[in-house]
Amino acid sequence: MRLLSGRRIVLATLALTCASGLFALPARAADNAKQFIQSFGTQLVAIVNSPVPLSEKKIKVLPLVQKNVDIDGIGRYCLGRYWKIATPEQKQRYQALFHEVLVNAITDKLGEYRGVSFTIGDVTRSGNEDSVNAILTRPQQPPASMQWIVGYENGQPQVVDVIGEGASLRLTQRNDYSSFIARNGDSVAALLSALQKQLDRHNQSTN
Amino acid sequence: MISGRNGSWLRPRAQDQHDQAREGSSVHRRFRLGTLCLGLVLLGATGCSSMKAPVPTDPDALAEYKAANDPYEPLNRKMFNMTMKFDKWALRPVAKAYVWAVPRPVRNSLGNMITTMNEPSVFFNDVGAGKPRRAGDSFVRWCINMTAGVGGLIDVAKMAGFPHHDNDAGLTMANWGISSGPYLFLPMGPSSFRDGIGYGIDQGLSPWDYVPRGYGLVSFNWAYNMMGVVHGRSEHLEDLDALQRDALDPYATIRSAYQQQRKAQAEAIRNDRRATVPDWYQ
Repeated sequence: MRLLSGRRIVLATLALTCASGLFALPARAADNAKQFIQSFGTQLVAIVNSPVPLSEKKIKVLPLVQKNVDIDGIGRYCLGRYWKIATPEQKQRYQALFHEVLVNAITDKLGEYRGVSFTIGDVTRSGNEDSVNAILTRPQQPPASMQWIVGYENGQPQVVDVIGEGASLRLTQRNDYSSFIARNGDSVAALLSALQKQLDRHNQSTN
Repeated sequence: MISGRNGSWLRPRAQDQHDQAREGSSVHRRFRLGTLCLGLVLLGATGCSSMKAPVPTDPDALAEYKAANDPYEPLNRKMFNMTMKFDKWALRPVAKAYVWAVPRPVRNSLGNMITTMNEPSVFFNDVGAGKPRRAGDSFVRWCINMTAGVGGLIDVAKMAGFPHHDNDAGLTMANWGISSGPYLFLPMGPSSFRDGIGYGIDQGLSPWDYVPRGYGLVSFNWAYNMMGVVHGRSEHLEDLDALQRDALDPYATIRSAYQQQRKAQAEAIRNDRRATVPDWYQ
């Protein structure tokens, strides 16, 4: 009879509540990731498909990307093992350059995605990140399947990677940068000047 | 005319033996031949040692080196540069001309034909990978498209619910648990020891290689292969241009993307556990 004493029942109820809360957590995180991608995607698609000039679309998309994409986190990841050896000034300059490179990479694609629509599929969790399956449909092109990786490093859901046709964009970018730095005598400065050159070229071609 | 397949490979040696029996100076000739062979072997050996990348000692660099799985990087980079030069001056202009001259619907039809013609190779690989449902799909695709699809020009099978899926001997071997081996850049593109061997097997699995000689189909086979290369390149004009413009080290970018994609493709095949009986039958 002592088994059912008041204190034990209270404790058991508490434990059960905690346990059910724990079990519900991943599901809630998955829902969060799904909702986040749904809302971010809908806003992006609305801008891409809106009947305004491309330059205006680029201006509109910028704050959306800055808010919903963990650009600093992706930048750190892409520098790989060289993040440790870069000086604070180099890190700061790199992040500024990377920011511009990434935003250009996204805004340059806006024109190509006219008439795009997307559907969201399952969410799978790996480590601290959620992977949201999405299928992009563009006119006169076969549907493209991709995964959006959502991280929570900054206290809110943010896109940290996109996987298209099995290849992770951030991993491919990291291998590109690492190989370039390694072939230039392990010099981060060489990467910075190459990124600067790339941006100058981009600005010249768009002006 | 004696072709390579009919034994012209053997002719010089047979000729040599005949000469030996007839001429007394054959020992001298043999010596010269031997020296030449030795020289070639030595040249090959020294060449190969400079083709291997030095193994880094720094732990982080070593981890990166292992992840890249590219011990023959110097050799691969040489091949990459040569291929890119060939692409720049020959393949890309031809592919651009093809896009300019041939309207999109016609190109789509040719693409369908190329895909359908490769379906037997996909079928054998699906069987090899132990995926009956996939094998069924490629078999049905071949039958429908070769008949109702007018020799593959129209992808009727896709409309009937049998979309194309890729498979090749490299992926089949991956499903058997054979690891990729070191990365290789071959003239036809990024590859690996396993995928390179797989490429050879796939050539053997294509029925078009067994067409009897003297038929118009041999010329068709050549045209089909060349068409496949040009068409394949034309499908990636913008992607490759963007890659060469944006990547700081296009070689490393292609290597990374290729290795990730192959892994994902092999996993997709492994995880395809659809029932063998099609949906409409159940």
